[in-house]
Amino acid sequence: MDADHSTGTSVVPPIEGEAAQSMVGEAPVSVTPAGDLSAGAAAPSKRKGLLAALGSQQSILILVLLAMIGGFSIVKPVFFSVGVFGNILVAWAPVALIAIGETFVIISGGIDLSVGSTITLSGVIAGYAMAATTSAGWPSGFSIFIGALVAAGTGLLVGLVNATLINVAKLVPFVATLATLGAGAGVALVLTHGAPVGGGPSNAISLSVPRFGPFSWPAIFVIVVIVIAGFFLHTARFGRYVFAIGGNSFAATAVGISVPRYVTKVYGLSGMFAGLAGMITYLTLASGSPTAGTGDELSAIAAVVIGGASLTGGVGRIGGTVLGSLILTTVTSGLVVVNIDPNWNQVVVAILIAAAVSLQTVRRGIHRRPR
Amino acid sequence: MKHSFQRAGAAAVAVGVAASMGISSGVSGASAGHVSRASGKLTIALVVGASSDPFFQAMKIGAQQEASKLGVNVIYQGNSTTYSPATQIPVVNQVLATKPSGLAIAPTDPTALQAAVNRAISEGIPVVNVDTHVNSMSKVLSFITGNNTQGGMVAADALAKAMHYKSGSTFQVAVGLSSGTSTTDVARLTGFKQEIAKKYPGVKIVATGYSESNSATANTNINNWLTAYPHLTGIFAIDGTNATGASSAIQAKGLVNKVSLVGYDAYANNVSLIKKGVITALIAQQPTLEGKMAVDDLVHYLRTHNTTGIQKAVQLPNITLTKTTPASTLKKYTYPA
Repeated sequence: MDADHSTGTSVVPPIEGEAAQSMVGEAPVSVTPAGDLSAGAAAPSKRKGLLAALGSQQSILILVLLAMIGGFSIVKPVFFSVGVFGNILVAWAPVALIAIGETFVIISGGIDLSVGSTITLSGVIAGYAMAATTSAGWPSGFSIFIGALVAAGTGLLVGLVNATLINVAKLVPFVATLATLGAGAGVALVLTHGAPVGGGPSNAISLSVPRFGPFSWPAIFVIVVIVIAGFFLHTARFGRYVFAIGGNSFAATAVGISVPRYVTKVYGLSGMFAGLAGMITYLTLASGSPTAGTGDELSAIAAVVIGGASLTGGVGRIGGTVLGSLILTTVTSGLVVVNIDPNWNQVVVAILIAAAVSLQTVRRGIHRRPR
Repeated sequence: MKHSFQRAGAAAVAVGVAASMGISSGVSGASAGHVSRASGKLTIALVVGASSDPFFQAMKIGAQQEASKLGVNVIYQGNSTTYSPATQIPVVNQVLATKPSGLAIAPTDPTALQAAVNRAISEGIPVVNVDTHVNSMSKVLSFITGNNTQGGMVAADALAKAMHYKSGSTFQVAVGLSSGTSTTDVARLTGFKQEIAKKYPGVKIVATGYSESNSATANTNINNWLTAYPHLTGIFAIDGTNATGASSAIQAKGLVNKVSLVGYDAYANNVSLIKKGVITALIAQQPTLEGKMAVDDLVHYLRTHNTTGIQKAVQLPNITLTKTTPASTLKKYTYPA
């Protein structure tokens, strides 16, 4: 799949998947298509195997998902229903949205831990904004529009703070976003005293309800975002640069990519998506809850990692992340429907993450051998 | 300000006199409490489990209101989100290092926090327990609580009433907890189960779930219960995250008035959901009163060095709020924010 994108004439090659990994090792400074082409030219017969193997991460994820749906449905037939799929997608929409933003961040070689508390903070602040417009007598549609803008703006602001901490204060992303994770949660608690913020438009919750089969408006919105994000990450120059930075930021700088500018864009995007996820959670809970996003950063990172991205950067697919987030939310809902002791949920998620990462490592090992 | 300063000055004198007269307390067995030298005011430390919990926030407000009335300071501390002895012990040790005049503490574990309470008492800092208590209460000035086990029993009564319980029929209910390790949640569940076993044998708990302190996770749990158990007639939302998750799930699925929801803690938003009929009943504690009484007891003891008039153990009743509760009562028990 990846080699097909190679143009050979672009300044930066399609530095994806294994190509990025090999580039780090083989051509740390000069970014030319050489690494990519030589890999293909040296082993043309291997190319098919490489393609199949690369594609297989997502094939395996689809199989895992189907097996889970099948297993849960056998144990509890009601699982295979529009009702349960609707429940899954309601929970999936915000997690998928932050996982998409996280995919860009992780591919760029960073990490964004702040998305969980950004969901909380933006939901709470949007809640106050909507309570104000509602009590001022504005129509509910307008209130919700304002709420979405405020939520996205809050998230974007958090993202820009992250970018500033990384670019200007020179903090590593883990520390920078760990700081904003704590600060965001703290500010939300200071504002709310721990109690949910109500008083918004009364029909807010109806927007979160599955309307077209299992699909709600937020789920459809997220699907549209996924398509657009996939286009930008995998076919546009923006995405190629993100991969390049994650593969080797020195090399990316050497070919004239402004790394700080892309750091700003990527964390801004992640923050804005988390803000919108906060708005979706507001609609789901009909209130700005000070606990709406607790721990969601780990769900986002887990989804991205299960999806096949490498935490060292330069590797990842939107499709993998989408499947990863679907698997996570399906497990959570499935274990509830099947009525398994809730303590097992964490164990199952842990096994999934470990299995996905090990699968990745094993596959990479197989690729290395021919070289 | 001037008024309170004068009263604080008088208090300092009173304490000084009491100390110089060598009145022994029999409670703390030590000298009178410390008076902060900087302000000359008594300082009451209120150390809680999770300081962001609205229950403890309301307790803080009650304590502060009483403190400003009595002309004393209150410092409020606790781990912001984690209710656990591991996080509470360092906090209480830090607070004791600042030498407060008195300590009001909600111990997160009866055994683990005993040492910190003993240390305070041995340093001459009188201790009041609020909400929960340590194992050995002999030297603790007083204990003020709204009993969580009793709250769970009241919740079972409220839910049975809302479901129009009658013997011979089966009623499916689900219970949402914050986690399996939250002691308050577990106490409430114990009381709930005891009351069901005793009075409502037809009530079956078909599902129990954890929100992991995330209201959106609570929402996912409850959405799935409502789908998987179409005959579900009642939900007991043991903590705030589950009340938020359950009330939204019931609304989203159009099951208001069909599934009875009993929640815990009277946050403003929950009280407004009672008025809408989404939450059938709320078990309200009286954290503001707990905070007020804790400050009263400590200040009384510090100023008079005398335990006369201090009730050793106070159990405040849990109040059940429903749609038929008068507006003034709803307002009275709504936690301040």
